[in-house]
Amino acid sequence: MKHGMHLTINGEPYELLVEPYCSLLDLLRDELHLTGTKRGCDEGDCGACTVLIQGKTATSCMMLALDAKDKEVVTVEGLARGDKLHPVQDAFVQYGGVQCGYCTPGLIMSAVGLLRENPAPTEEDVRYGIGGNLCRCTGYAKVIQAILKAAEAMRTA
Amino acid sequence: MPEERVLGRNYPRVDAADKVSGRSQYAGDVYLPGMLICKVLKSARSHARILRIDTSQAERLPGVRAVITGRDIPDVRFGSGAVRDRRVFALEKVRYVGEPLAAVAAVDEITAQEALDLIQIEYADLPAITDPIDALKPDAPLVHEDLPRYEGYAAGMGGNVCTVLDSGRGEVDRAFAQAEHVFEDTFRSQGINQGYLEPMACVASTDPSGRINVWTSTQGPYQVRGALAAVLQLPMSRFRIIPMELGGGFGAKLRLCLEPYPVLLALKTGKPVKFVATREEVFTLSGFRLPTTIYLKTGVMQDGTIIAREAISIFDMGAYLGAGVQSGVSHTIGPYNIPNYRVRSYAVYTNKIWAGSYRASGVADVTFAVESHTDIIARKLGMDPWEFRMRNALKEGDTAIQGGRVPRNGLQQTLEAVKERMQWPRTSEPGHGVGLALCQWRSGSGPSSASLTINEDGTVILLTGSVDITGTDTVLAQIAAAALGVDMHQVVIAKRDTDVAPFTGPSGGSRITYSQGKAVELAAEDTKRKLIALAAERLEAPAEALACGGGRVYAKEAPERGFSLGQLARMSLTSKAGPIQGTASLSAMPYAPVFNTQAAEVTVDRETGAVKIVRFVQAQDVGVAINPMAVEGQIEGGAVQGIGRALSEEVVIRDGRILNPSLTTYLMPLAPDMPAIENVLVEVPTEEGPFGARAVAEPPGFGPPAAIANAIADAVGVRLKELPLSPEKILCALRGEPLEEITLDLELLRALRGAGGSIQWAGSG
Amino acid sequence: MNRFEYLEAGTLPEAIALLGQHEETRIVAGATDVLVRWRQGLWKPQYVLNIKRIPGLEHVSYTPDTGLSLGSLVSIRTLELHPLIREHYPALTQAATAFAGVQIRNLATVGGNVCNASPAGDTLPALLAYGAECRLVGPAGERLVPLEFFLLGPGRTALQPAELLAELRLPPQPPDTGALYIKHSARSAMDISAVGVAAVVSLAGKDGVCGEVKIALGAVAPTVIRARSAEALLRGQRLDAERLQQAAQAAMENSSPIDDIRGTAQHRRAIVASLAKRTVSYAMQMAQGTSFPFRTQRALAVEASFEEGKGA
Repeated sequence: MKHGMHLTINGEPYELLVEPYCSLLDLLRDELHLTGTKRGCDEGDCGACTVLIQGKTATSCMMLALDAKDKEVVTVEGLARGDKLHPVQDAFVQYGGVQCGYCTPGLIMSAVGLLRENPAPTEEDVRYGIGGNLCRCTGYAKVIQAILKAAEAMRTA
Repeated sequence: MPEERVLGRNYPRVDAADKVSGRSQYAGDVYLPGMLICKVLKSARSHARILRIDTSQAERLPGVRAVITGRDIPDVRFGSGAVRDRRVFALEKVRYVGEPLAAVAAVDEITAQEALDLIQIEYADLPAITDPIDALKPDAPLVHEDLPRYEGYAAGMGGNVCTVLDSGRGEVDRAFAQAEHVFEDTFRSQGINQGYLEPMACVASTDPSGRINVWTSTQGPYQVRGALAAVLQLPMSRFRIIPMELGGGFGAKLRLCLEPYPVLLALKTGKPVKFVATREEVFTLSGFRLPTTIYLKTGVMQDGTIIAREAISIFDMGAYLGAGVQSGVSHTIGPYNIPNYRVRSYAVYTNKIWAGSYRASGVADVTFAVESHTDIIARKLGMDPWEFRMRNALKEGDTAIQGGRVPRNGLQQTLEAVKERMQWPRTSEPGHGVGLALCQWRSGSGPSSASLTINEDGTVILLTGSVDITGTDTVLAQIAAAALGVDMHQVVIAKRDTDVAPFTGPSGGSRITYSQGKAVELAAEDTKRKLIALAAERLEAPAEALACGGGRVYAKEAPERGFSLGQLARMSLTSKAGPIQGTASLSAMPYAPVFNTQAAEVTVDRETGAVKIVRFVQAQDVGVAINPMAVEGQIEGGAVQGIGRALSEEVVIRDGRILNPSLTTYLMPLAPDMPAIENVLVEVPTEEGPFGARAVAEPPGFGPPAAIANAIADAVGVRLKELPLSPEKILCALRGEPLEEITLDLELLRALRGAGGSIQWAGSG
Repeated sequence: MNRFEYLEAGTLPEAIALLGQHEETRIVAGATDVLVRWRQGLWKPQYVLNIKRIPGLEHVSYTPDTGLSLGSLVSIRTLELHPLIREHYPALTQAATAFAGVQIRNLATVGGNVCNASPAGDTLPALLAYGAECRLVGPAGERLVPLEFFLLGPGRTALQPAELLAELRLPPQPPDTGALYIKHSARSAMDISAVGVAAVVSLAGKDGVCGEVKIALGAVAPTVIRARSAEALLRGQRLDAERLQQAAQAAMENSSPIDDIRGTAQHRRAIVASLAKRTVSYAMQMAQGTSFPFRTQRALAVEASFEEGKGA
């Protein structure tokens, strides 16, 4: 049986009817076609589905969509301001932190969440902070560099 | 020179902005009106006759639109290589757990799953064979009883031997007799999954005109097109394959994957059908690397010169021909100049999913064996392992393993660079150690074509059929820009599919920069010739007096006399030759080896067996780094894949069943455990590659297992010959408990008749 | 993958009532397990009951007299970051930092980890070593059950029908107490532990004699267990290398691990011995006043830093 729910995604309000077994990830992708958030494993092991809920990172594949009722969700589509990329997005572009791109939205959301809580992370803090995000292409080297550069840019802005 | 403005610059990937914004479209991001969801029913048995498939209940379930099995399609076999041993659906028997039996299309995923649960299968179990060494015995159950009748079957195969390859040179037995020392070791590599983040995905939809559109996650759209046409017995022209953004493949998506299922269901229902694999199906529906056993025997002289090698490699091939057996003959010599050798490689059928491709399939396994063996020999001779490698390493002018001459290369520079960076040799503290590995590969070849058009405003459209997996779109654009003498931002890469772009081989085997890049360079040269010809006509000057650069064609002696590319494009519309388009095609590129040296510094915890990589240094000859940032990204990522293979990854299969088809229990490297990777890019340009570039992407994954095993031996004195190098194995070795000895019946293996199978040195893998 | 129904409770009494009314109901708090196991076909609930919106179950409070009170909905991330927990119950902080990844720590709850009763649950050794008690609420009222009697076996707890875990209470620790949790797993994040050991050591007086010691072993028995014979060897004793070795041996004998994908029983026993020595040794140093910054504690907890000759 579907249940009605209200939530906000990237600042936009939504009124929806949702099945109990629909995950937040299913809702974003299959119902709303916000396909920026990726499905890598549906088990919480890869972090590709990471979004922000009330400002904190969460693996959306594990969450019941209904559990996001009345909450504020931010996905990768909600980071840029028009044409202007978020400093984390920009740093990933400039410093080679993107290869195949499939882990990228989830990684960027984790980085945004990390920098919100810790604006001046050490390299070690970044490594642990993205410990829940799997990347098979980059070996993490340039991802970490990008996040540190983004942190620097955000501190001086 | 104009190329200097573009070559060697760290342009961000042309697709990066879309990827960081979530705008890039992967196959799973395609949603079409009326789209149905496809799920595939997989065999629950590893070896069994199929007595009955009853789909009637599934067909009647509300929300189910179609159910298909092998009975509904032409009985056509296809294959990953020469032998056509496989079908889209299992027909008279299943040969591995997971083999597809049926597919359904339903209105949503949960209905499709319910439908699968309603399909009834009756099996009659057959004895299963899961150990490739047992599979070689004369009385082993046969995975393919009809093997001799398969298309592509080569004489000499038989029983469960899928392929046998032999290679040799010189007089091996005499050399062993002359050798002052002979060493023998046997090594084992584990099952490895490619681990791409994006599970296989495909959407198929038919047009009213009868064309079949296939949006798919693939490295080889033309290969998919050809295979679909063959397997479904439809003309190739019915298919338009649209390769979507690829979320990793590493070889798993080189050929036909799961496209037949949504295609067949789209044909049957008239609706778009989507198939997206689950992560479990990344293990159970798509082949990955299976274990390998490698025996090496080497004869050396007291001064450290290697004079003889024998090798026997057993590749567990699973139930159908996959990839990797070639590396048992191409790489068991290693990057060394060995005048006498005899190497043989077996691919053996077993009742498991087939051994799929992964970033130079088999070479990492063989390199683990060879580079561990190299260290063992050096240490036993009392020689420095670096000196031993330098003494025996291939040099320019030596005979390459496939015949022909080793051209100029940077192997020695890579050894020197790592020696310097690691301050080799040094005495380490207890529990610390350093280990080396020297690796080789070749730059990929294969059919490649590209075309360029100049727009009336001087911008350039590059049409390349290659799928971008390693950043090649950016590099190809740099090549085109450099060759035409325009700025990078003037080049646009066309969106393409198999209707629109000219044929090219799949993206794999390290071939796109070297071969497709060459085609792009040549297409740019062709374009330049036509631009110059038109300008020469209008300027009434000979072509040799003109140059192309800075976005213009101009007279060398009087640069102010000339035209911009835009002007020429506009002029061409009314010229005799018509609109300007440059094209190029090639099918083979000369041998251009790639060498790298890697070194790992580790600490080993003697109480827990935990290994930490403290430093990782690598030097690779990249020819010319067209985009250094992209090159580094490739070799960093490859090294970390190799570290995963060394320390934590293993697909565990018991009785044909995968015990860990999940990222919870298949453990790939995460950021907190990785060292900083230090890279040295050595540049010794190739003769023929675009602006001297070499292949880059595959070699960095080969060396880490041996480098780390050698470092562990250096640190705590234990020698592990089986991957992964787990804490448990290390603790057993430290306790002096005999590790399971890997034994091969060498007499049997030497005696089995070789097939004289042909060895392909070019091509993908 | 059955089509289950969704229920939501706004208060504890409502939750209890709904549990009583509906058969085969799974409680969902962080929801880090329900959908995953449902997709795997392992769980087929008729209903899921979301208790995450019940107010008053997310508190963290501490007094030196009453100790720590944790609402069952306190997230693992809160365990990792909360200053009161870092200061007074650091093994819980260390366990939290070794738990999965940040995204999952934001969702997962300590009550969920306890009620899942996995033999390898990361918070369980620290909770057991600190002497945690479970406050349960149900149709018959409230009751307090010590954690070691609450966990009955893999996936089994002492929860009666329509009962919920509302709170965890950890008694105040003596002054001069140190604690360390070490998790043995292949990677520093995301893994289920192959072995997890927590030691809480309190000094008896100032002369380096061990007063109270609790050692809890995870992933090496059907539930988390106390290594009581190891504890007995150390209680009231001065810690030296020989005694630590004996205690490590005893801890090993207290454990009963199995072979599984994460390791063989033989390997796990060896690791128990090593981790028992190390956790006790570091806990002792902390009890004696050595302070390790969070970064060091984190590195020790996930085995990312261990220097031979120090600690054990």
